[in-house]
Amino acid sequence: MAKVLEGPGMGLMKKWGIHVPHYAVVTSADELSKLGHVNDWMKQSQLVAKAHEALGSRFKLGLVKVGLDLTGAVAATKDMIGRQVGSIMVSQVIVSEMIAHKEEYYCAVKSTREGSEILVANCGGIEVESNWDRVKRLCLDVGQVPSHEALEKLAKEAGFTGALAKKMADFAGKMFSCFDSEDAQYLEVNPVVTRASDGELVALDAVTLLDGDAKFRHPDWNFAFAAEFGRAYSKQEEEVMAVDSKIKGSVKFIEIPGGDTAMLPAGGGASVYYSDAVVARGGKLANYAEYSGDPPDWAVEVLTEKVCSLPGIKNIIVGGAIANFTDVVKTFGGIINGFRKAKAEGKLKGVKIWVRRGGPREKEGLDAMRALKDEGFDINVFDRNTPLTDIVDKALQK
Amino acid sequence: MSILANKDTRVVIQGGAAGVNAARRMAEFCYLIKRPLNVEAFVYPPDAGKSNEVPYGSGLIAIPVYKTIAEATKNHPTINTSLVYIGADRAMKGGMEALDDTHIKVVTMITEGVPEKDAKILGAHARKLGKVFNGPSSIGIVSAGSCRLGVIGGAFDNLVLSKLYREGSFGVITKSGGLSNEIIWICSQFADGITTAIGIGGDAYPGTDYVSYLEMFENDPQTKAVVIVGEMGGDLEERAAEWYGAKKRRVKLMAVVSGFCQESLPKGMKFGHAGAKEGLKGEGSARSKSDALKKSGAIVPPTFGALGPAIKDVYQELLKTGQVKEPVEPAALPKLPKSIEAAMKADEVMVTPLIRTTISDDRGDEPCYDGYPASELINKGYEIPHVVGLLWDKRLISKQEAEIIKRIMMLSADHGPCVSGALGTIIAACAGIGLSQSVAAGLIMIGPRFGGAVTDAGRFFKHAVDNKMTVDEFLTYMKKNHGPVPGIGHRVKSLRNPDKRVKELVGYVKSLPIKTPCLDFALQVEQVTAAKKDNLILNVDGTMAAVLVDIGFPVDSLNGFFILSRTIGLIGHWVDQKRQGSRLIRLFDYLVNYAAPKRREVPPLK
Repeated sequence: MAKVLEGPGMGLMKKWGIHVPHYAVVTSADELSKLGHVNDWMKQSQLVAKAHEALGSRFKLGLVKVGLDLTGAVAATKDMIGRQVGSIMVSQVIVSEMIAHKEEYYCAVKSTREGSEILVANCGGIEVESNWDRVKRLCLDVGQVPSHEALEKLAKEAGFTGALAKKMADFAGKMFSCFDSEDAQYLEVNPVVTRASDGELVALDAVTLLDGDAKFRHPDWNFAFAAEFGRAYSKQEEEVMAVDSKIKGSVKFIEIPGGDTAMLPAGGGASVYYSDAVVARGGKLANYAEYSGDPPDWAVEVLTEKVCSLPGIKNIIVGGAIANFTDVVKTFGGIINGFRKAKAEGKLKGVKIWVRRGGPREKEGLDAMRALKDEGFDINVFDRNTPLTDIVDKALQK
Repeated sequence: MSILANKDTRVVIQGGAAGVNAARRMAEFCYLIKRPLNVEAFVYPPDAGKSNEVPYGSGLIAIPVYKTIAEATKNHPTINTSLVYIGADRAMKGGMEALDDTHIKVVTMITEGVPEKDAKILGAHARKLGKVFNGPSSIGIVSAGSCRLGVIGGAFDNLVLSKLYREGSFGVITKSGGLSNEIIWICSQFADGITTAIGIGGDAYPGTDYVSYLEMFENDPQTKAVVIVGEMGGDLEERAAEWYGAKKRRVKLMAVVSGFCQESLPKGMKFGHAGAKEGLKGEGSARSKSDALKKSGAIVPPTFGALGPAIKDVYQELLKTGQVKEPVEPAALPKLPKSIEAAMKADEVMVTPLIRTTISDDRGDEPCYDGYPASELINKGYEIPHVVGLLWDKRLISKQEAEIIKRIMMLSADHGPCVSGALGTIIAACAGIGLSQSVAAGLIMIGPRFGGAVTDAGRFFKHAVDNKMTVDEFLTYMKKNHGPVPGIGHRVKSLRNPDKRVKELVGYVKSLPIKTPCLDFALQVEQVTAAKKDNLILNVDGTMAAVLVDIGFPVDSLNGFFILSRTIGLIGHWVDQKRQGSRLIRLFDYLVNYAAPKRREVPPLK
């Protein structure tokens, strides 16, 4: 899943024939005033300015301003750009025309196991969440394209009548084309509104989740994916992502401020069980991390350095199941180098390290870890005979 | 028994290097269970027509590579299963090709990062055809004692430790590759081991769900219980719970689900597999999945760690009720032969080396010349002549000697386009021949009549000096035994038209505080021979030879100086011709003396 911000999301919808308001994404108030000189809609319409970042509850934070004229939008942009919200600094603002409307509707397309589902409701905005039973669905098998009749039937079920039912069916059909052609996993427009000027249905907002794995067949995806975390990635996280994009196998790292138990486990499946075990024991995770698919030792070393740099940690969990083909000696070599570097930099004081692992060359790998004790590390090493998450129990024993 | 993979499974692997690696792992398993290799063919268009060698025991089996699945199954009609290792962007096409082949019933896709839509299309297509599409992102499938597809089960030692050489009673279905091994290991540690373990793949919408496999396990009398390793996201676990709760099932269902930590973590955090994501309003959460499974009657231990003891309880119950018997372990298991490298490391074998070297070693992080690391030589100011000294004479020559060698090489780097060596290279370059071959064409000219006099000159001058011959004795000896003196005489230079290079080299060497008996002798010889005929002068070859003998280089290395320095010039000539785009040379008729018979009538054939 890869989240796309509103601007590029609207761009994709426009590509597939969906009416969207005029909009522009700007990085400064200056840019906006210059655009105002050449774009009539900016002068003629009432405008909305929103911080163009992966942030929840923008309204509450004062990062959405409505009913502005161009001067007001420029002022709002000036005010928003550079604002710090948690770890996110607002660097872009999306300015769009306000569409005068009365009714609000809802339309979404989501991925299902069999194919997809088109959702339509004749209520919209925040109303839709409290009236979830008014949302009607059309289920489609993968490869199946909805007929106009089926879409119209869906619109009618949702309570649309007459010409509006036809328009909603047409809108939902375009949403499906966009979803299917752009390898989307979730598309949502809330609200869909009737534009007073010409009676066309317009998408006022766009939630777009694309399948990042399909990027290879979409050369026109020239936008960056947004953090799904509701916050920007930290520098450390971005550095690990940069390593991840370069290697065979993978390394992942997410910081969770305030925790004291640092995770350095192997494998996408096992790592979650390790995190579960920490939480179940009442521990506080300092991060989520994993490495898998036999990554090169230097990549594991980078990951280790990041983990060791987490503030306030008391334990590091180097957990792992029995690997299929990840070389334990090699990947542990990366971890050991990372530990040594961290120690040389004065880190890891009072930090206990807990190791459990199996897999190719497990004995040599575990022996190398054990030998760290002689270098003054507070390290406890266990082999496959210790059940997977027992090291967490030992680490968090009071 | 087992499901999906058994002793009759015959496999085609779609893909390159990763596929070959999998075949090797599969061969290890076949060797352990004493069955023939189950991989019959590869499909990998770039290598079509070749074969991949797969070690089996201490032998090697050549497995043919085909361009298409159709070719593979035509030549190997017993193939019934495909393992897909091709890249994500081509995985769907490959998967379709396999599914559409009538011979193939099961397709397991190992490829990770396959677009969701592609996986769904493949899954739907397989269901339509009544086939199994397992994966993507699957670690493979293993049936204890009968078949391994992919690398599931891990290294050979782990196969043995997890008792995968013989059948147990537990079925395993997991989304995670690493955890599949863990569960297999737990089943062998706390119970009698597994029947079949399936890596279903960690994606959001795998091609096959738990239920289809649960049905198969239910119909496999050997399987008494099934362990599911689930995770948050999607609804596969809920569907499994629904299946289990729908009616009385023969198999016992056990399950663990990961992702409880999400309840106390920041919202929107995505981790683990692509499929591990939470739906709306707690749907697909670890808790709702666990609850559904518990409600259906499945055994759901509170933590992953508690799974082992839970499996043990089920197994003891099965033993008590007589549904299973204690397994009989085989008396002896095959041992995977060690590679020579591993055996040598363990001091178990001694190998007589094929060749011996005394000058260089590049097994470390950089080459060592006669023991000196190349970078250290550079950093301490040594130069190319020192490398020549180390590799040709195994000694670290002095700065003064290095300077002499440098001058020799500079003076003989090129002698113009007309000499045999350069001409050979130029003709080859004009004929479109590549650099190394063209340079070689020039170098093979080096011999007794061109450049190759250095070694011989050195040898004879040294003979004379060593035997304290007078010039007359030497000339008589040469005339009687060998003919003209190598290193003496020049085609175009003479006393009146001296060779500046010789003068330069002699002048420089004589200016140094070193003894030069050979050079002195050669100059004395020149005095005598040049008096007889003015072009019988000491030439460059002879001068180089005498000087190099004087500074101690072995006689056999001497032509090497000419080859080395002349290579610089020959490369220059090749590049020069190439840059000019020179055309093919044909010798002009007027440069040939046609001494052949005049045209005449061909007599009738008798």
